[in-house]
Amino acid sequence: MKQFNLFNESKSDDSNKYTKKIKAPIYEAKNRKPHILELYDRSKTNLLINKIKALDIAEYEKKFLLSAAERFTVINFSKVADYYAHSDKAIQEAMESLALVIVDFDKAIEYGFAKLSEEMTQQYIRENEK
Amino acid sequence: MKNKNFVAFILTHGRPNKVLTYNTLRKQGYTGDICLIVDNEDSLQDEYIASFDNVYIFNKKEVSKTFEEADNFEDRRAIVYARNVCFEAAKSLGYRYFIQLDDDYTSFRYRYFNDEYTTKGTVKNLDKYLEIMLDFYKSTNINSIAMAQGGDFIGGASCGLLSNYENLSRKAMNSFICSTDRPYQFIGRINEDVNTYTRKGNLGLLQITIPFIALEQLQTQANTGGMTDIYKMNGTYIKSFYSVMFQPSSVKVKLMGFKNSRLHHSVKWENTVPKIISQKHKKQ
Repeated sequence: MKQFNLFNESKSDDSNKYTKKIKAPIYEAKNRKPHILELYDRSKTNLLINKIKALDIAEYEKKFLLSAAERFTVINFSKVADYYAHSDKAIQEAMESLALVIVDFDKAIEYGFAKLSEEMTQQYIRENEK
Repeated sequence: MKNKNFVAFILTHGRPNKVLTYNTLRKQGYTGDICLIVDNEDSLQDEYIASFDNVYIFNKKEVSKTFEEADNFEDRRAIVYARNVCFEAAKSLGYRYFIQLDDDYTSFRYRYFNDEYTTKGTVKNLDKYLEIMLDFYKSTNINSIAMAQGGDFIGGASCGLLSNYENLSRKAMNSFICSTDRPYQFIGRINEDVNTYTRKGNLGLLQITIPFIALEQLQTQANTGGMTDIYKMNGTYIKSFYSVMFQPSSVKVKLMGFKNSRLHHSVKWENTVPKIISQKHKKQ
């Protein structure tokens, strides 16, 4: 018996084809400036800090451990980039020096990637011409 | 290869008769310089020298003093030493740019062209692709760019690299195009690539994987020598924890795979690397 398609969906021969254009990995900042508390999560850090503070150890040891506890602070880099885009110059410069964002100066990465993509494709076409 | 300031380094240990990458490079049209990076603790270093024109021997113990290994073991059967010596090797050999490659590549394949995922064939003129990649690299301030790996395309067109390129392009492994004037160090005795793209990436090191062509390797642990011994000894359990130690806020260890599950690192990209953002947002 011949199979038929109840919902008339055409069977695609291109199911494994990818049609989305890959662009340079540049983040598009949102229009909204997030609240500063959205940028990071100190839950685990605070938990560790409380434990360290309760320890009966030398102050200089506590100082080190408290610094190390900061490694557990979770930063949301999308929110950070959004915050950057809506901040003034002073904050932006501080964020840049802390490597909280990477600025694509003169669109070097964006344009460079487009050129790379085009040249790669041209080379591919040349290689595979009959 | 047009650029005479460029060399392909093949990082190898303990298998002078199985440096697959050398023949793969030549077979697929790479005409530039090749140099093997071999350590002085390799008992087969003389065989390497006898078999290849250009071999750079380095002192592994000395290199071990220059970066954070993240443990107190003395077992140096790992690739990180060779990765880190490449910058010095390039300088002393008179090259500005290099690509560092593992020794077990079987082919370089087309993967993404004309905005589509493809499985069609192997690269014929590798020189051209490397030149295009090098031109891109030189035009930016990126620390390193890498080719994709076959494994990046598991899932075909809907694989992670293509469907989430903004995040997963920041994972850079295996083949690294670098410059002596943008030096950096890989960290951790093992899992050094993951440690580096997570921890150093977190602090602003910029590495990007290019999706157009991918290198194919022998299945891990199928080739004797190299890193195989250390992986067989510890599996991926200890390896994965190095990256958690370096980047505990965003790297975890979890069970992966359905059959023969194993513990493996898991990176939460949203919390790992700073975003690249257009200059249009920068206040003047």
